[in-house]
Amino acid sequence: MWLLSWRDLQYRRRRFAIAVVATGLVFAIALLLSGVSSSFTTEIDRSVAAFTADRWIIPVGAKGPFSNANAFSPSEVIDSVKGAKQVDAMVMNRLVLGSRDVIVFGTEINGIGPRATAGRNVHRAGEAVVDTSLGKAVGDDVTLGGTRFRVVGTTTGHTIFAGSPTAVISIDDARAIGFASQPLATSLLVRGAPQAVPSGYKAITNDTAVDDLERPLQKATGTIDFLRVLLWLIAVGIIGSIVYLTVLEQTRDFAVLKATGVTGRSIFRGLVVEAVIVAVAAAAVATVLALVLGPLMPMSVEISTGTYIALPVIAALAGMMSSLVGLRRALGVDPALAFG
Amino acid sequence: MLRISDLTIEYSSGGYVVRPISGLDLRADAGHLVLLLGASGSGKTSLLSVIAGLLTPASGSVQVGDTEVVGLSGSALTHHRRHGVGVVFQAFNLVPSLTAAENVQVPLRAAGWRARAARDRAAELIARVDLEDRAHHRPADLSGGQQQRVAIARALAHDPPVLLADEPTAHLDYLQVESVLRLLRDLADSGRLVIVATHDDRLKPLSDEVLDLTPSAETTGRAPTRQVLEAGEVLFAEGERGDRVYVVESGTIELARHRDDGTEELLTTVSDGGYFGELGPMLGLPRSATARAVDRAVVIGYSLRDFRDHLQPSSPGALLSEAADATEAWAENISQ
Repeated sequence: MWLLSWRDLQYRRRRFAIAVVATGLVFAIALLLSGVSSSFTTEIDRSVAAFTADRWIIPVGAKGPFSNANAFSPSEVIDSVKGAKQVDAMVMNRLVLGSRDVIVFGTEINGIGPRATAGRNVHRAGEAVVDTSLGKAVGDDVTLGGTRFRVVGTTTGHTIFAGSPTAVISIDDARAIGFASQPLATSLLVRGAPQAVPSGYKAITNDTAVDDLERPLQKATGTIDFLRVLLWLIAVGIIGSIVYLTVLEQTRDFAVLKATGVTGRSIFRGLVVEAVIVAVAAAAVATVLALVLGPLMPMSVEISTGTYIALPVIAALAGMMSSLVGLRRALGVDPALAFG
Repeated sequence: MLRISDLTIEYSSGGYVVRPISGLDLRADAGHLVLLLGASGSGKTSLLSVIAGLLTPASGSVQVGDTEVVGLSGSALTHHRRHGVGVVFQAFNLVPSLTAAENVQVPLRAAGWRARAARDRAAELIARVDLEDRAHHRPADLSGGQQQRVAIARALAHDPPVLLADEPTAHLDYLQVESVLRLLRDLADSGRLVIVATHDDRLKPLSDEVLDLTPSAETTGRAPTRQVLEAGEVLFAEGERGDRVYVVESGTIELARHRDDGTEELLTTVSDGGYFGELGPMLGLPRSATARAVDRAVVIGYSLRDFRDHLQPSSPGALLSEAADATEAWAENISQ
C-alpha cells in the first residue's frame, strides 16, 4: 500500500517537511559531533605517526611521551639502549601563543621527528616548522616562548589535544625555552626495536603513545558519545511524535480501511514506510548541513565517508523504531469505528 | 442470501451493558432493498456492523450466502469484509489524502490487485456512479452527494453480493438524495441485496422490505392487564421491547441494570401506587432495566395513551419532563 503512504506524505507535506528539517538538524548535530569525536582520534593517530618513530623511551613512572613532566638527561640513556637503529632525544614544551596553546617539539636537526609537508625541515636554530592551523605560512615569523622563529616549513593536520597546533624546532632551541639550555629531554625517539633499555626507563609502542594523547580527551569523547545517543533519541522522538499524531488523526481512516478489508499489518507497514521516508530525507538534509557547517566549526570536524553512508541506514532504523509508537494504536483500531 | 437468527447484540457503554438488538430474526434475498428503520439507538448501525463482520454479537447467527459471519476471524474475516459485503458509511469516510479513483482502488490494492488492474476497475466503478470527470479530485473538492457515490463505488470494488448503507442520505440535500437513492435502487434491481439503515421513513416507498427496529408504542386499543408476580419473577428484561407502562398495585418491584463486569446494579424499587416502564414505549427504545418482583407483587400494565389519559391527567408535562431528563441521561450514556 505504497499509495496510501505516499499520498499521506503529500497531503500532510508541511508537517512532514517540518519534521524532516527538525530531524535533519538533529541528525546534522549528531553528525558534526561524530566528526569532532572522530577528529580527536584521527589527529592523534596522524600526529603520532608523523614522528616516524618505532618506539618511545620514557621514565618508568611516566604514562607517555606527551604527558611526561620529568625531564631527564638523555645522553647516558641513549648510550645504554641496545639494538635500536637510531635513538634521538626530544623535548616537548606546551606554550601559549596569544590565546592558543601551541605544542612545541624540539627534535634533533635531521633526526627522528615530524617532517614538513610544505617548505623544508628545520636546518638550524631559529627555524620552525609549524602546522597550518597556527595561521602562519612559510616565511612568516612566529614567537614561541619569547623567542622569534622563522617559519621554514609547514605541516597539515598535525594537531593534538583537540586542535592545538604543533610546531617543530631544534632541540637546542626547545631546551633554551623550557630548560634554560640544560641538556635535558622529555622522551627519546627510537627507530627499530630496542632489546634493552636502562633501568628506570621503558620503551613504549606508538599505540601506548596514542593512549597517552587520548587520555585527556576521554571525558570529552565520552560526553560527545553520550550527547550523540541523546540526539538519536531526540530524532526518534520527533519522528515518533509525527507518526503518532498522524495515527491519531487517521484513526477513522484506519477503521474504514480495516472495514474494507485492509489488514492491520498493511496499515502498520504504511506507517513504517512514512517514518523511514521522513528519516532518510532528514538524513539527506543532515548531510548537506554537515558539509556546509563542518568547515565553519572552530574545532576540526572529520566525518568519514563511511559515516555519511551509515547515516541513512541508521536513520532508516530510527524511522522504523519511531513507527513502533503507532503500532499498538494502528493495530488496535476498531473497524466498527467507521460507523461512528 | 441473508439469514439472521435469534441475534442479540450487546456492548458496554458507561459501565452498563446495552442491548440494542435482542432475539432478531431476518431473511432477505438478492435483488431486494431492505430498509432498517429506527430511531437513534435502536440498533440499526449495530446490526449493519455485525453483518459486515465488524462487531461480534452476544449470540445468534448471521449467514451471508453460505458464510456464517459470527465467529469468523483472521483471513476468513478479511475475506468476508472484502468480498462478502460492501459498506457505505453515513459520513462517507473517504480517505482525504486520496483522489476519488484512488479511494476506490484501496480495497483492490489491499486484496493484492496489481496497480493497473486496480486503476481500470476503479475507473469502471467511477463511471458507473457517473463521476468520470471528478475521478482525480480529492474528497474535499467533491460535494456530499459525489462523495457518497464514490463511497458506493468503493463498496462495490469487489462486487460483493450484499451492500450495506448506513444513513446514506443523512448529509445530503434533496437533489443529492435523489441520485444516491436511485443508484441504490438500481444496485438492488441488478441482483444485489441492498440493506439501508435509516431513521427517515420517507424512504419506505423505495424498499422491498422494511424492518422497523422501533415498534411504535401501541397507544390505545388494548385493555389494561393485571399480572401477579411471585418473588424473584421477572416482569421484563433489560433489552426487551415493550409497549406497557406498569403501575404497582401491591408488593415491590425492583429495577436493576446489568453492569459490563457481570454484576447487577439496583437502580430503584417501586412500591404500591408507583409506576415504571414508561420510557421504553414513549421513546421507542428497548427496556433499559430489568423489572423483577422483590416479593409477591401485583402490577397493572397500561398502554401509553391509557396511562397518560387516565393515570396522569394533571401532569403530562411532568411525565414528559421526566422522560426528557431520562432521554438525555440515556443519550449521554450511549455517547460515552
